[in-house]
Amino acid sequence: MSTKLLLVEDNELNRDMLTRRLIRKGFEVVTAEDGLEALEKMRQYHPDVVLMDLNLPILSGWEACKIAANDPDLADIPMLALTAHALEKELKKALDAGCKDYATKPIDFPVLLRKIAGLLNP
Amino acid sequence: MSLRKRLIVSMLTILALLCVNVGTHFWGSLARNQSMVAYRDSVRAGQLSDEIERLLEDQRQQVLVLALLKETTGDKLGASEQQAALDNIESINRKVLSLGRLSWDDTEKTYQNLKNSNDQLLEQWSQFYERYNDEELQIDVENPLLYLETNQQLDALKQEQSKIAVGRASIIDSTIKLTDRITVLAFVTTLFLTFLLGFILVRYTNRSFKRLQKGTELIGAGDLSFRIQTADQSGELAELGRAFNDMSEKLANAIGEVQMAKEQADSANAAKSTFLANVSHELRTPLNAIIGYSEMIQEEVNDGEVINKDQLQEDLTKIVFSGRQLLSLINDVLDLAKIETGKMTIHLERFDPIATLHTVAGSMAPLLNTQGNTMHWDMQASLPHIQSDATKFRQIITNLLSNANKFTESGTITIKAGSNEIQDQIWVEVHDTGIGMTEDQLGRIFEAFEQAERSTSSRYGGTGLGLSLCQEFAHMLGGYIRASSTPNVGSSFTVTLPVTLELDPEDA
Repeated sequence: MSTKLLLVEDNELNRDMLTRRLIRKGFEVVTAEDGLEALEKMRQYHPDVVLMDLNLPILSGWEACKIAANDPDLADIPMLALTAHALEKELKKALDAGCKDYATKPIDFPVLLRKIAGLLNP
Repeated sequence: MSLRKRLIVSMLTILALLCVNVGTHFWGSLARNQSMVAYRDSVRAGQLSDEIERLLEDQRQQVLVLALLKETTGDKLGASEQQAALDNIESINRKVLSLGRLSWDDTEKTYQNLKNSNDQLLEQWSQFYERYNDEELQIDVENPLLYLETNQQLDALKQEQSKIAVGRASIIDSTIKLTDRITVLAFVTTLFLTFLLGFILVRYTNRSFKRLQKGTELIGAGDLSFRIQTADQSGELAELGRAFNDMSEKLANAIGEVQMAKEQADSANAAKSTFLANVSHELRTPLNAIIGYSEMIQEEVNDGEVINKDQLQEDLTKIVFSGRQLLSLINDVLDLAKIETGKMTIHLERFDPIATLHTVAGSMAPLLNTQGNTMHWDMQASLPHIQSDATKFRQIITNLLSNANKFTESGTITIKAGSNEIQDQIWVEVHDTGIGMTEDQLGRIFEAFEQAERSTSSRYGGTGLGLSLCQEFAHMLGGYIRASSTPNVGSSFTVTLPVTLELDPEDA
């Protein structure tokens, strides 16, 4: 059984690109375009890892992470923040919101794969 | 009261008291001297009276003896004896006159009486001597009436003189007593006042200085709102207090200005940091797509997969799209930086705005077709040629048309234009029937890196700098852009520009 990932990303190009690259690596990928959809998909599919963009419409990535981290049903799902914000402050905010790790854009794909692996086998 | 006034009043008071003292002394001396002279005169008059009494008595004895001799012996009087006797009488007369010079008003009457009877007596005696040798001398020298009268007057005068002497002596005593009393009183008062004024002065000065000291300590410790309350409203110390208060107020103002300048610098700095963070963020998003798609294509090639040509074309288009987005972002950022540093120059030329609008719209036509939009024109019959920067005018219109197209699907984009002759302006309106914006969104669209929605960038592209730049350009050209919108109905952007833009000589 392949690893199931939830990719939350509002930018269409980045979502399409990352989805296809992850599928090529053998992951099963579910996508969401905003924070609210992300929470719905987490409940629906219970993915192994969530890749969460932080700048999201409707419900931001930070808010979604906080809600997920405090939801007993979702708290065990490890979340990895994806962000174009390279500042320490922003990264710390992601960790504070409940993300286990983060990757900055432009994404270094091999590093992202290692981080996903790290979250799957802690 | 000022310190100087207090000092002057104190000094004057002490000086006045000293003057009273010295004046009293002089007045006392004068009064004493006057009384002393009078006293001496009285005593001298007494002595003179005694002397005259004795001389008169001697003369009478002599006259009586001579009269007896003439009666009994009939001897003649020698010329020298006669002369000596007359001289004696003359001497008595002179002494009586001297006595007159020592007389005062209150003894004048008695003296006149004395002089009258004395004159008669001396006259009788003089005749007695002069005519002594005449046979039929009939002068009644033995009658003592005149002599006694004179003697009596002399006694009365003596008594009066001695009474005056006693009076003068008592006046001297009382004068001395009075001046002594005044001197002591003035001295004691001077002493008391000196101490009192000194004490008040020292206490006042001390109190004022203590307040000043406390105030300066508080101000020095940083309490710049403290105001020194001086004991007085006027005077040197009050002025010193006011000077300190002014100083602390100016200091507080200066610190406030520095604080404000610092806050402004801080907020400008924060704005720069935010701008930089935003630029970094905006650069990374298209870069992510470019790098991601490129790496993916590399992988596909390396893995020796059969490559779907259409898919590859699509992916390459996405890379190019992202690259262009990156380029326009970089250009926009550079333009904003140029405007901010004042390096954006204006090239003035006179051109036909309608022709320019047609050129721009023509170049946008292919883009419009991709969204299924149609373009309408609603022009005023004639527009004046304008003197402005044609390139920036084109950039503004291109941006507005591109925005209108971006947010409208299968709709209508209308370009309206007209002029306002009274204000010497032209206006161009770009109207669309697109998704529109709420009031709240409308308020933010001209700010750098702001788009109506966070998701706008990913859904519609754009950097969030376009409208901000357009507004800056419009301002540079002496005009402005106004926007109005209704959600789901459409938006309208109107550029208003002056017909003739004059540049400040400095900017040219």
